[in-house]
Amino acid sequence: MSSASATAPSGRRWSITPFLTLGLPILVLVAFVVLPLVLIGVYSVYSLSPDTGLMQADFTWANYERALTNPIYRNVFLRTLEIAGLSTIIALLLAYPVGYYIGAVANPKHQGILLLMILIPFWTSFIVRTYAWIGVLQSNGFLDSTIGWIPGLQTSLLYTRFAVIIGFVHVFLPIMILPIYASARNLDKRYVEAAYDLGATPFRAFLRVVLPLTMPGIIAGIVLFFIPTFGAFVTPQLLGGTSDVMMGNVIADQFGQAFNWPFGAALSIVMTVIVIVAMTFFFRYADVEEIYGR
Amino acid sequence: MPEHDVNIRNVTKRFGSMTAVDAVDLDVPRGHFVTFLGPSGCGKTTTLRMIGGFEYPDSGEIAIRGEVMGNRPPHQRDTSMVFQNYALFPHMNVADNIGFGLRERKVPKGQIQERVTGMLNLVELPTHGSRKPRELSGGQQQRVALARSLVVEPTVLLLDEPLGALDLKLRKQMQIELKHIQQRVGITFIYVTHDQEEALTMSDTIVVMNEGRVEQEGSAEEIFERPRTRFVAAFMGAENILDARVVDRDSATSRLNIGPGEITVNTAMPPDAHTTVVVIRPEKVRLDVADGWPATVRDRVYKGSVVSYMLTLEDGTALTADVSHDDPAHRHSVGDKISVGFRAEELVVIPDGGKGA
Repeated sequence: MSSASATAPSGRRWSITPFLTLGLPILVLVAFVVLPLVLIGVYSVYSLSPDTGLMQADFTWANYERALTNPIYRNVFLRTLEIAGLSTIIALLLAYPVGYYIGAVANPKHQGILLLMILIPFWTSFIVRTYAWIGVLQSNGFLDSTIGWIPGLQTSLLYTRFAVIIGFVHVFLPIMILPIYASARNLDKRYVEAAYDLGATPFRAFLRVVLPLTMPGIIAGIVLFFIPTFGAFVTPQLLGGTSDVMMGNVIADQFGQAFNWPFGAALSIVMTVIVIVAMTFFFRYADVEEIYGR
Repeated sequence: MPEHDVNIRNVTKRFGSMTAVDAVDLDVPRGHFVTFLGPSGCGKTTTLRMIGGFEYPDSGEIAIRGEVMGNRPPHQRDTSMVFQNYALFPHMNVADNIGFGLRERKVPKGQIQERVTGMLNLVELPTHGSRKPRELSGGQQQRVALARSLVVEPTVLLLDEPLGALDLKLRKQMQIELKHIQQRVGITFIYVTHDQEEALTMSDTIVVMNEGRVEQEGSAEEIFERPRTRFVAAFMGAENILDARVVDRDSATSRLNIGPGEITVNTAMPPDAHTTVVVIRPEKVRLDVADGWPATVRDRVYKGSVVSYMLTLEDGTALTADVSHDDPAHRHSVGDKISVGFRAEELVVIPDGGKGA
């Protein structure tokens, strides 16, 4: 420090700049990310008073024990994984062609308008869009009135897992398309030409060149889609049946209905840790750096 | 008649309202190093890409080894392209890049390894197989791109300005090396460049293109020594391109008026040609000749082995003369009045009258 003070300009004045550039973002992060997380962490080791049913500050692992050992929650967790995973796969199959088309095939002059069309649904609250599916899928709803006259095609899709998956795919599809679009746009077409030139059929060229080179976009898309789906509670609440309850619903119920904040907090922490661990492995497995070679 | 690897018949290609390639006719003899030379936008790259199958002609046809290609895609053609910036697959190491085409051709694994190793030796990168392209220098990447295209043993190797990204010294070295490799493997090379020196260094045949058409086709010597159009003369770096008027002619000779004087050349001019263009190399311009044309020294530039004199003839025509630097007999300074002359047989008369400027 002594050497630093020797070279520091004398009469250094207090400046607001470091506060704005460094302090403000830190403050925002602490207030909206760190503090809530710490709070959830603290709640998760609290217990409920057996007398009043109110949360009391003590230290217990009981909430975690219940979350990790009770088969009900394990089943809900596996179901959540299944629904979110299936939705992610379906979304990827839809998002990849669209993102690739806009980024690599479409006339660059039309890219803007096509992207706008992808993003316009974002201007409507996703809750409203989810409600709209109720109108479409319910018995005698839009779908039935359109195709219901065909014998045997009376649908009753609302309150099924299928409805939940439709809801997820529809609501979160754009955020998967965007990173795929970006990586497709950055794909140098000469790599594809070189693959054709060396004898690869279009399919082989896709498999060996296009797919690996757009992998960063695919990975980003999967992560961006999977995380909100994994933690969602509105969509299964509105579109799913009683057998489609997801972790998000269970956690929401602990806070909203059961008033068991400590247990809800413990479930949240477990979910968060699982997602972080899973994503770490996922990123390591599909090493973006490795794809491009350091 | 030599066997041809590529025949281009009356091929035209348009992009919107722009005609990129305009009724080009060309035969590429087997085993030749052929260079398409021209300024950017002359249609040389488009022609190359049509041979490779990346573009299709609007009219006319391209045949490879006698087989008409039509709209056959690149992976069904026996050509291979070295791209301008190499287009090495960034997610594969060098050996996998080189082996790519062999894998697509379902060559057995052991054989792939053997041929890749052979190619790595040919391009003098024997220990670089496991590196990623990004870890190589520009020159090394260039060699890998060459190896990747050569290993599939194409009928024709297409090279799209492959040395453009290298610095001058490396480029000169690679020019020689490319030529050696071509002679060793004996494959037909079609090379695209805008660099006339590069074309002269490497080519068996140079095809000079301009505005989608072939201006002239011939050996390096023919193109350089006997340009047939004013464009070719100018593009090959001719410094003295002079307008001339035909004042008299017979069946074997013509009398031309050039600037201030007249000269008789051993070139028969067609009866309808009244003007033409002559080219004289700067080192062929003689200074201080008896009964020469008067000229004024405008500028004197020392270029090492030669001294260049920028001269003005009486009528204002500009002329450059190169004199050997150790020739004290012809040492002049700016403003000197001197006389210049040239031998009729050293004038290159451009027979088409200087069209295609």
